[in-house]
Amino acid sequence: MAEYKLLLKHSDDPATQTLAGYKKAGGYSGLAKALKMERQAVIDEVKTSGLRGRGGAGFPSWIKWNGLPKEKVKPHYVLCNADEGEPGTFKDKMLMETAPFQLIEGMTIAGFAVQGDVGYIYIRGEFIDAAKALRKAIDEAYANNLLGKNILGTDFSYDLHIHLGAGSYECGEESALMSSLMGERGMPRLKFPHAPLPTVSGVWERPTLINNVESYSCVPHIIDKGGEWYATLGASTKNSRGTKIFSVSGHVNKPGNYEIEFGTPLKELLEMAGGVKGGKLKACIPGGSSMPVIKPDAVDVAIIGYEEMGEVKSMVGSGGCMFFNEHTDIVMLAWRTAHFYANESCGKCTPCREGTRWMVQIMDRIVAGNGQKGDMELLTEVANNVEGRSFCALGDAAAWPIKAFIRQFPEEFEYWIEHGKSPVTSKEALALVP
Amino acid sequence: MSELIQLGSHNERPMPPKADELNLRFSEQAIKELEGLKTHYPNLKACILPGLWIAQREYGGFLDGDAIAEVAHRLSRSYAEVQGVATFYSMYNTVHNPGKHKIEVCTCLSCHFNSAYRIRDYVSKKLGIKNGETTADGMFMLEEVECLNACDRAPVVQVGDRYFGPVDEKSIDALLEELRASEESTVVKMADQIVQVQLKAEERVGTIR
Ligand SMILES: Cc1cc2nc3c(=O)[nH]c(=O)nc-3n(C[C@H](O)[C@H](O)[C@H](O)COP(=O)(O)O)c2cc1C
Ligand code: FES
Repeated sequence: MAEYKLLLKHSDDPATQTLAGYKKAGGYSGLAKALKMERQAVIDEVKTSGLRGRGGAGFPSWIKWNGLPKEKVKPHYVLCNADEGEPGTFKDKMLMETAPFQLIEGMTIAGFAVQGDVGYIYIRGEFIDAAKALRKAIDEAYANNLLGKNILGTDFSYDLHIHLGAGSYECGEESALMSSLMGERGMPRLKFPHAPLPTVSGVWERPTLINNVESYSCVPHIIDKGGEWYATLGASTKNSRGTKIFSVSGHVNKPGNYEIEFGTPLKELLEMAGGVKGGKLKACIPGGSSMPVIKPDAVDVAIIGYEEMGEVKSMVGSGGCMFFNEHTDIVMLAWRTAHFYANESCGKCTPCREGTRWMVQIMDRIVAGNGQKGDMELLTEVANNVEGRSFCALGDAAAWPIKAFIRQFPEEFEYWIEHGKSPVTSKEALALVP
Repeated sequence: MSELIQLGSHNERPMPPKADELNLRFSEQAIKELEGLKTHYPNLKACILPGLWIAQREYGGFLDGDAIAEVAHRLSRSYAEVQGVATFYSMYNTVHNPGKHKIEVCTCLSCHFNSAYRIRDYVSKKLGIKNGETTADGMFMLEEVECLNACDRAPVVQVGDRYFGPVDEKSIDALLEELRASEESTVVKMADQIVQVQLKAEERVGTIR
């Protein structure tokens, strides 16, 4: 299978960044069609398409859409999670920079389907180029009656705002994102079933729909060409439909974003990215830093799909696929990953706040040459006690990769602990030691 | 303690001004912009983040006690609340004045294994400062940051509203040279651009560059 450009189709043609160009390329026919449909029919179309959230969890999108009250008593909000922060992922950035209208159209259709009043695109502060592209597109959409009052002459009115974050990975987590949007520290909130779902009581205690940039960007295509058509993509997989953008980086010859149909072998993704550079393949983190690492033999057999990736004990995640060559010191990789989560833990829940720091301390002493016997077991135990014990999944995201590094490459940890130095001694590897 | 988690000296942390010493410095433009932003949200509290961006521009890139107090005052929030929010986010400069240009070197996974630490050490040596410090002339601050989500261009450096990558020693030299010669503070420019992109066409006072 080759690349399948559905969402990235517009990215090759800068002309589509103007409204005229986007319309010429078929844009806004989805919205025109949706506005003539019943709201429920739009949601049903998304259901038929089999679309699952592209932000990391793979939750069926239509269930969220269907969860907002049909009898509206309070304003409804539509949020777009554009806080892309998962190390290894850079697809949302590209989608916003090169196909801003696609996202705006998707969010407008979503707004129509769930009776939304106001939409917010929460963009991480660093992504100023993406925000500029979106600003230009939103201004043009307002000027052409595609946003604002009585869109395209219907009785549907919808405002869309851009809100910039200020540097925090945790704000990508949906309840923390809502806290941040409301002007608080970006900390997560208690979840269902202990608290109502965001679709019932989200931002400002009002019904809220939240999806990822890529999820919304799929919507115009689903409505335009039909959910049934969309569901033919990836039909070879168990339960993954459509296309997925993978951000491929690390030691590959042609790093970049590659859109593929679900069901494509992971090996082919590596081929698209020009293969491994600087040596043989040693490890792959297929779905962003939170996802478990896999070895080359698993890369050879892995099929890209939400359930299929589970068979090699990893996950699709956000699609931040990193390949590492034979000169990579896995313990250093684990060390840097541990630091990332400790730095980004918001500090609200004790297991995550203390556990991530503890893992850093153990990793620090291992790479300083002072590893102790039993450190591997201790790391695993700490990770086990962080996993599933915090308000949001940052704790899980910190625990999974560490456990996987130890499970897949125990000999490298043992070597470090026993000899106090790296088992990888090539010239290339030494150049990378901080 | 890990170098990565270093936060700077707490002695430098700005203190709130006394109530009768409130020293308001927002320009006409800033006041108009804040009014525009207020219409985007159902309450004033939600304007704290956008308000802090305005303040970061108005106060030359550093949110000192006066800046925090002014945002709190203009949004009818308490000093403690606004400070609490500001200190949570890494892009608000609340610990010390970053200077004119913040050199943000990504050392996260993909960048790490594409020589990011070598780049960090090079910048550090060249400028004579450690991670989190600012040069004595107030020109540069060096900051190690987490994934900038441009890993296809690893190793990546961000300065204000511009991304650079893949960088090497030569391109770093050229970049520092260029920044040294420029009049404008990229820290202030970044804050300004972040304010501008959040405003609708009819609310915008400045320009998007
Ligand atoms: C620590 C953490 C960070 C997250 N960061 C992001 C992110 O940057 N972007 C994103 O879309 N989802 C992120 N998520 C997932 C969101 O919580 C949420 O699942 C997603 O926005 C739902 O959108 P979707 O259904 O379209 O995938 C993160 C989750 C966690 C636990
Ligand atoms: S790791 Fe540096 S940009 Fe992602």
